[in-house]
Amino acid sequence: MLSGFLSVSWLAALCINSVSALHASEVGVVDWHKSFIGVPLIGSPSISPTFHRVGSADGPTQSVVLAATSSNVLAALSPMNGSISWRYVFEDDEHVIAFKRHGDAVAAVSGPGGATLRIFDAVSGHLRLERRLHNADHGRIFNPETLGTSITFEPSTESGDVYILSNGHVLRRVNSSTGDLKWGWTSPDQASLVVYFKVVSTPTAVYLIGLAKSFASYTLHISVISPETGELLTSANLPSSISDGMNDVILLNDARDTSLGPRIVWLEGGAVRSIALSPELKGSASSTKGNIYKGILDIGLNEHGQIVAQKEDGTARVMKLEHDGLKVIWEFADSATVEHYSNSIYSGGFDKDGWPYVARTYWSHLLQKASVHVHASHLAEGKGLETGYTFAFDTKEHGIIRHVAVDVANPSELKVIPRVVLTTTTGAVQLWQQEQLLWTREEALANIVLTELVELPERKVVASHIDLENEAFGARLTRQLADAQNFPAYVSNFVKRFVTGSYASASSAVDSPADSSDTLYRDTFGFRKIIVAATPFGKIYGIDSANGRIVWSRVFGLGWAAKVGATVIPAKIFTLRTVGDGDKPQVALIAQRRADNSLVDTVLFHFDPLTGEDVTAASEGSELLQGHDVIPGEFTEAFLLPNETTKAVILFDEFLQVHIYPDTPATKEAFKAALPKLRVPLRTGKPGARQLTGHQITLEPEFTGRHLAYPTWTLPLPPSEEILALVPRTREPVASLGKVLGNRTTLYKYLNPHLVAVVAGSAPPAASCSVYLIDGAKGTIVYQVAVPPVEGTCNVKVMLTENWLVYHYWDAESAGTEGAKGYRVVSVELYEGAGVDDKTKSSDLTAYSNATTALTVFEKAYVSPSGVSTLTTTSTKYGITVKDIILATKNRQVQSLPRRLLDPRRPHHKPTTEESEEWLMQYDPVIPDDPRRTLSHSYEVEHVRRIVTSPSLLESTSLVFAFGLDLFFTRVAPSDTFDVLSENFNKLQLVLTVAGLGLAIVITKPMVSRKRLRERWYD
Amino acid sequence: MLQGSCMSKSKAPSKASSSATARYEELKVKRAWDLAISPAKSLPMQAFMLYMSGGGVQIFSMGIVFMLLSSPFKNLASINNAFAQFAPKSAPPKALSTLVLQKIVYLLCNLLTLALGLWKCRSMGLLPTGSADWLAFETRGEPPEITLW
Repeated sequence: MLSGFLSVSWLAALCINSVSALHASEVGVVDWHKSFIGVPLIGSPSISPTFHRVGSADGPTQSVVLAATSSNVLAALSPMNGSISWRYVFEDDEHVIAFKRHGDAVAAVSGPGGATLRIFDAVSGHLRLERRLHNADHGRIFNPETLGTSITFEPSTESGDVYILSNGHVLRRVNSSTGDLKWGWTSPDQASLVVYFKVVSTPTAVYLIGLAKSFASYTLHISVISPETGELLTSANLPSSISDGMNDVILLNDARDTSLGPRIVWLEGGAVRSIALSPELKGSASSTKGNIYKGILDIGLNEHGQIVAQKEDGTARVMKLEHDGLKVIWEFADSATVEHYSNSIYSGGFDKDGWPYVARTYWSHLLQKASVHVHASHLAEGKGLETGYTFAFDTKEHGIIRHVAVDVANPSELKVIPRVVLTTTTGAVQLWQQEQLLWTREEALANIVLTELVELPERKVVASHIDLENEAFGARLTRQLADAQNFPAYVSNFVKRFVTGSYASASSAVDSPADSSDTLYRDTFGFRKIIVAATPFGKIYGIDSANGRIVWSRVFGLGWAAKVGATVIPAKIFTLRTVGDGDKPQVALIAQRRADNSLVDTVLFHFDPLTGEDVTAASEGSELLQGHDVIPGEFTEAFLLPNETTKAVILFDEFLQVHIYPDTPATKEAFKAALPKLRVPLRTGKPGARQLTGHQITLEPEFTGRHLAYPTWTLPLPPSEEILALVPRTREPVASLGKVLGNRTTLYKYLNPHLVAVVAGSAPPAASCSVYLIDGAKGTIVYQVAVPPVEGTCNVKVMLTENWLVYHYWDAESAGTEGAKGYRVVSVELYEGAGVDDKTKSSDLTAYSNATTALTVFEKAYVSPSGVSTLTTTSTKYGITVKDIILATKNRQVQSLPRRLLDPRRPHHKPTTEESEEWLMQYDPVIPDDPRRTLSHSYEVEHVRRIVTSPSLLESTSLVFAFGLDLFFTRVAPSDTFDVLSENFNKLQLVLTVAGLGLAIVITKPMVSRKRLRERWYD
Repeated sequence: MLQGSCMSKSKAPSKASSSATARYEELKVKRAWDLAISPAKSLPMQAFMLYMSGGGVQIFSMGIVFMLLSSPFKNLASINNAFAQFAPKSAPPKALSTLVLQKIVYLLCNLLTLALGLWKCRSMGLLPTGSADWLAFETRGEPPEITLW
């Protein structure tokens, strides 16, 4: 009878505090933020990580490690502790092409063909200068990207000028402090086959080195330009034949000895040839004789006149620029390619005084250790000195060393202390000072592709599995006595808790410092979970959601492909067993393994998310996490079998045959039982023409012994439109089947379980962009809307939960509307039938009923204050709490958007009594930019790609994990924490009041009875 | 009561007191009618109290509503006792069949009070008349088809 009243007041209670900001005291307690720079690029010396020392040789100096990364970041790391000194995040489509350090400045060019020049302060990272060199649309894309771009600082630092070669044919001289262009020179024949890639300056001439394509090889082309006027002095082809493009050409000069002119070195027919550059381009090439070389390596010392040349057997020789040409000054002993060493990596570094050093790093398969040999050419009275040491690089943890940057300290004549920064195949960046590992950065975490939040088990009582039935009396007595030891502590704890009221609070940290043991346990409210994060760098991580600490990490084994090499690309992740199912949780990760011999297999890794241990026998005898080869070939899709008790993964291979993992009689039985009910919408067709096709599965296995999926329907989209994204309805409990209106009628929610949101668009000539809601069981379009495409691309962010669809887009054309162009967020709600009190029972209706299309749509568009990179909804355990939208904005914040603001039923007039009973507000198209909605406080959460929400044990609270370049974790309570006592609840006062009243009764009771007795006596 | 017993005392010696007895019976019938319509008489006052108590759900309005809803049932439960003193001499005082007409009117008047209470409940939104009041009890089964996502 009171249910109506109760539900109304319940809703009222939920809504009453829908805007509640994050308190400053909660920052760093309920949330954490980790910044990353991404995995460093290592393609060429102009882009690879490098040490840079700022300060004069006599005074104090400060070092940073500069790196440009695949996440479009230019960053400086502190070599002391690996923290980020500064980072600059470029736009998504603006790759860093090259950077150059000089004194206290770092110059970087980015964008297609090197479209933009930026100059940063090397220590603070302040942007000193930004200059657009050409429109990004006019940029030429070279392969490799670094071709066609080069930066050189004018050697005389007073002028502070920088020469920028961009787009392969334009050279500019720019003042690095003012940004003024001194002159620009454009190659007269842009369309010619010459692509310039290197620039070097001398006081008399600026040399541009280019490659001209001839029949089977390249020819060197040199242009000499006046440094003062930018006029072309002369230009000529060098008679040369280069097979491997720019990798075989190095330009040498010596910054310490300017009397040595620049010299161009190239590899031709197994010989290292070189020629001194002069403004007249005269002189003849000299060539090495005798030895056959297979490669010359630019180790970043070309401005100090040193390169490494590799002989045919792999032996490395250091060559140095001298007055009479190129001279071999050192040969690394035992550097020939052999079975028990990996290939060596050569890199150049400097000490505080600017002397060059050459380091050779390799991995010994016998010792299972890495070695570094450093050659110093100026030591030992100019004869050269080589020092070596080994360090315990953990290849099982970090894969293979891909790049080494070296920095050297030379405290005394014969003492060489190198420190190296390694970049590994798993995306780790490590700094080793001799044998000592100083720090590791797991930069693969900037590229997480899949995550799963897994619930932790409770802290179990040790005696939980004792055989109580057959326990002897003595044993029981001793056990109980042992248990009784803890009784005083328990009592004192209880009293303390009872009196002070110090219960677990919803806004306190979930990891106490005392709880730093390796085993993870759930906290009181289930806020602590483990985040399983898979990366495309062959490594998977387990992250403690309480503080962002990496609990475990495993490198994927490659199975048979270990011999040829392969990459493992994670595709799907499922929780196969949760804590609720008893025993330890289990997670299955499905990945595509692309072997380097182009064979593709589908591999399934089955592991314990708490430790990263393999739960099957696949990894026995291996220190890596090995998978099961479930499909010999690619897979189309994988799903979790919808069965409460028997959890299994259903995989479809490229021929749409069904594979089941784990393949046991129980899972087969469960699959058979579910088979007639299963409907499988799959994305089919080639990339560029993807369509959505519904499938069913044959009831009986085919002759191959496997069930086969066969198509039943295709989505009738316009032929040019392609499916861009599928956003299924979130599978979460729905607390209420309808929406209660002010007059106590009901709008029944349209809860079709097959509903999916589809974003479809077509390419520029007839650019279009649409959002569809589709019944995934039969392919009916339930709702559709066309969205304006932005510059020919369809960029809509969509969220679908329960009966609520939210999409966010940029509206560039404001034709017909009074508003200006801007971001729009549209909220759509679907209800059953024709109106109030009309129900079709859509949630358990058969998909073949016509009633599935009977629905009422409410929609409202709002102006969103900022661009959004992704959006999702909060998720709670029972779905009672109001769902807020969590979005990552383009200005590096994570925000929440209350449902009340986005209600599509907000009236255009002042709300009537009935409407205000529903807490509806008057419609206002502009969503105010309320800083209280920001969840990320002052953190700059860069480039969020996805936000994952997960329920906690508290119905009111949802966990939010945002990942992209950075990781950010927090928790939100959209309706406030209604299920815990508030922080300012005064337990002590309550206890004292009750105790005082009790005391008063004890005292006054005998008094009253005495008085009564007296009254009777005298009455 | 006291007066009644006095009269019956004085009646025994007096033989010509039949008219007095008749008047007395008449008076009892009249009083019975008074009682029968008494709930209806208090209706305006109760309505005024309801008006004053307002439409909100608070302790005061709830108390009045509770009284309105419970008093008819209490009254009807003790209907025979209430009318026993007005029963004519000839009839058993506590039987349902005595003073039937008055009792029916009394019942109707109590129903009026009840109706007033229910009307107030309804205006306060406490009657489960809308579909929303039964929404929490609605259940849905498993869908016959399962879409894999």
